[in-house]
Amino acid sequence: MFDRFDIFFVQQLVNGFSVGLVYALVAIGFTLIFGVLNVVNFAHGEIYMIGAYAGLLAILVLAPPWVALLLLVLAAGIAAGIALERAAFKPFRRFRDEASLKSKAMRESTLLSSLAISIVVRESVEKIFGADMQAIPRAYADAMQEPISLGELAVASGQIAILAAAVVMFATLQWILKRTDIGLSIRAVAANPLGAQYVGVHVDRTVIATFAIGSGMGAVAGLLIGLYQGTIFPAMGFAPGVKAFVAMVMGGLNSIPGAVLCAIVLGLAEAVATEFFGQGWADLVAYVFLVLTLVFFPTGLFGAGRERV
Amino acid sequence: MSLLAVRGLVVRMGALEILRGVDLDLAAGEIVTVLGSNGVGKTTLMRAISGVYRPARGSIQFAGEEIAGLASHAIVARGIAQAPEGRQIFGAMTVAENLRLGAAVTRGADRAASLDRVLSLFPVLRERYHQRAGSLSGGEQQMLCIGRALMAQPKLLLMDEPSLGLAPKLVRQVFGLIAAIRAAGTPVLLVEQNAKAALAIADRAYVMDGGRIVLAGEAAALARDQRVRAAYLGGHVGV
Repeated sequence: MFDRFDIFFVQQLVNGFSVGLVYALVAIGFTLIFGVLNVVNFAHGEIYMIGAYAGLLAILVLAPPWVALLLLVLAAGIAAGIALERAAFKPFRRFRDEASLKSKAMRESTLLSSLAISIVVRESVEKIFGADMQAIPRAYADAMQEPISLGELAVASGQIAILAAAVVMFATLQWILKRTDIGLSIRAVAANPLGAQYVGVHVDRTVIATFAIGSGMGAVAGLLIGLYQGTIFPAMGFAPGVKAFVAMVMGGLNSIPGAVLCAIVLGLAEAVATEFFGQGWADLVAYVFLVLTLVFFPTGLFGAGRERV
Repeated sequence: MSLLAVRGLVVRMGALEILRGVDLDLAAGEIVTVLGSNGVGKTTLMRAISGVYRPARGSIQFAGEEIAGLASHAIVARGIAQAPEGRQIFGAMTVAENLRLGAAVTRGADRAASLDRVLSLFPVLRERYHQRAGSLSGGEQQMLCIGRALMAQPKLLLMDEPSLGLAPKLVRQVFGLIAAIRAAGTPVLLVEQNAKAALAIADRAYVMDGGRIVLAGEAAALARDQRVRAAYLGGHVGV
């Protein structure tokens, strides 16, 4: 059916798709928070890392079943997200009018405060657990590496888990945003913070909910990917954070479907690049995409004229 | 006994004092209008009552309770809704979602009742129910803005320039609605450029200048006042 080159190439695309989903999981939380507050949350990669460490601790101490493990990590991510919002963002939201809520000063100060928190958290984790990659108990590591063959293609169970997690999270998020009161409030604050105040939306509570949702998803992504790749270490959030940031910019800064699509494209492009240029060049793809997007599509590929979030 | 009693209200923006001690009263069942040129502080007054701006000094009592300094959502929950200047609707969301957001502070059973009431008051919103709010005409958007405010089942409705930018026929329709809303039991505090129409519909009126109330009285009396006629009822203003 395929000759040797083709099947290898298709296998690479499958792997690239899976990597793209990883970026997408991180990009969803990033984009959600940007859409609502118009600020870049530089500590999002650390939430991802905290998710992985919280999950690993749970595995070592409790060895819980998978569902319980994911729920624990979700809870840890939500708690970390709320703490992050209180520490790095809330102090700069003293004024309630629209101009201050989306002002440049607000953007720049929270950019730095979230960066500061991210450094403190990363260094603290390094101080406590060391800078090395953590050993992952066999039972959990192996569960992510079961080979599953689809015709001539082979995928790991971990890739399926990541795909399932991405689909569930994306669908849950769309359901929250479209069908629930808090989701409607999130969209209202993202679209028009002043209008949201007039209708009586609790802006502060909405911002907290946004961080809770985005961070919960980021933490689960961190655990799944950490377990699958066997890479749980303090700086693990950096590379996916950069890629997710590129996907967010390409997607138009505040479009979640756009960011997800661009994250997958990015993953595929990196896989193809490995095919032709060798491993070391793959990381360059994201930056080339970023520059091309900024030069030729300054509002992103899906940015102009659509709803925020 | 006033439903709304504003006393010595001062609002600052940085070093600027926009409101310099405003006193205003509104009793249950009244339509009260606030007149004045652009930039005298009318919208600032409305925003301060709705909690969008925090007053620097002074008091705002609503149904006997102090509400100055409360957050906007707490004020909507106490029964003051606003159809704001510039409408501030959510253009990318549907009419249904806009109305649902207006009812953010009410409970499930109340929501169905207020939705019925709003849709019978504005049949056009029923026709456009699943359309994007941004695709509505200016007049329809104004109806949506007022309907959204009514979804909160307010005890007091604030309206800031509801006739701005509308065709004369729609302007008459909006003023008809204001009368209907009051007749249904909801008092209205109205800021309007169209002084003649506002004075015709209101019970009492205030005139603002430079962040202060400079004239107050029965609407009919103010409509005959020489100063008001010269400043706000010249030939260029009319329905």
